[in-house]
Amino acid sequence: MDNDRSLVQRMAEGDERALGELYDRHGRVAYALAYAIVGERADADEVVVDAFGQAWRTAAHFDLARGSVAAWLTTIARTRALDLVRARGRRSRALERAARLSEEGVVSPMASGDAPDRDAERSETRRLVAGALAALPEPQRRAIQLAYFGGLTQSEIAGQLGEPLGTVKTRIRDGMAKLRDLLRGAGGRAE
Amino acid sequence: MTEHEWLAVAAPYALDAVDGDERAAFETHLTQCAQCRAEVASFRDVGGQLALVVPAVDPTAGLRDRVIAEARRVRPLASRILRPASRLPWLVAAAGFVLAVVLGGAWLRERHDRRVLETQLAQLGDSLAAQDELLATLLAPDVSVANLAATGKPPSARLFWNPGRHRLVMAVFDLPPAPTGRTYQLWAIATGRPPVSLGTFNTGPDGRLTTALAVPAGLAFDLTAVTEEPAGGSPQPTQSPFLVGPVQRSE
Repeated sequence: MDNDRSLVQRMAEGDERALGELYDRHGRVAYALAYAIVGERADADEVVVDAFGQAWRTAAHFDLARGSVAAWLTTIARTRALDLVRARGRRSRALERAARLSEEGVVSPMASGDAPDRDAERSETRRLVAGALAALPEPQRRAIQLAYFGGLTQSEIAGQLGEPLGTVKTRIRDGMAKLRDLLRGAGGRAE
Repeated sequence: MTEHEWLAVAAPYALDAVDGDERAAFETHLTQCAQCRAEVASFRDVGGQLALVVPAVDPTAGLRDRVIAEARRVRPLASRILRPASRLPWLVAAAGFVLAVVLGGAWLRERHDRRVLETQLAQLGDSLAAQDELLATLLAPDVSVANLAATGKPPSARLFWNPGRHRLVMAVFDLPPAPTGRTYQLWAIATGRPPVSLGTFNTGPDGRLTTALAVPAGLAFDLTAVTEEPAGGSPQPTQSPFLVGPVQRSE
């Protein structure tokens, strides 16, 4: 994964081929994430083009101290996707999708009919992440997924679930800490 | 809040799930606490991994070409280091140049059409008033200056805040125009309070902009920041700022 860093550096110098390679490495994950949030192909296309455009323009500011290249890209794609959902006034549908992911997606992320994953290492990481999420108590998992895929803040999650804010805060904090422990050393995390 | 309590905010912050006031306070804390920054970074990585659990979908055919085509439209932000102080003479020179062009234009047209001349004079008056405003805002003794930079790299911006006139003059350099449907937004941040929008702006094709913005009377702030937002701007920033600068008060 050292490669990611040098790709971003080359992008900052204006090397289009580096952008193409970055897309080859991370485009599928970014697309799947965008599609999971926006729910329509044309919108997911727009989000991914925008997200890689932003990565291209701001490559010189990428700061490894703030996380991996993969995390940087997914953060951009996720933010763009949630912006688009809000701009189209489709937040409630996005929340339904986030809730569905909580119930089905996590348990069987590779449902039959899914496109085959070319990258074996990524499949393995993916299996680990799905396993880690499945290992969380359901209320923790649900709160984290509403935040990550639904773009809700803690108080919005509390409102949505009819739970006290303090409870939601504890669930997110404990759930994320547990995920981090379970995923320590899994691929795709650090460079 | 003690430092230990702040650590508890890192996980929800990495998910963008912290509400306004608390988020602003935590961001202020983050500027001073390496431990919390590292904590946020590690939780952001967990967030990046969460992206892997969604069902796989093949990207639309031709999307890679669209990504590259989009990139050809805008150059990446330059990575050479700018010295903001050297930009002030440029700003003054540019103001003088604009004035000279306007004066010269007015003088030439006088011979042709009196009505045009009157229009020109009116515009010249407006322009002079605008220049006056600009210079008065810049040159007042109590002007505070903020240099906004992204870890010392371009793009950069320099702000001149004149609290007496409730005006702020902003000069932006090496910032490519925001893409279609997006805009840049300037925020004023006071410690422990949510950011306040000072307005949206966009740069020209040369990546530059000099503009004057109104500052709400009574608004005090220690930090300024720029984010990219959906067209029309956002009530609160929707992403981390790419330009940040503390306000340096005049003595």
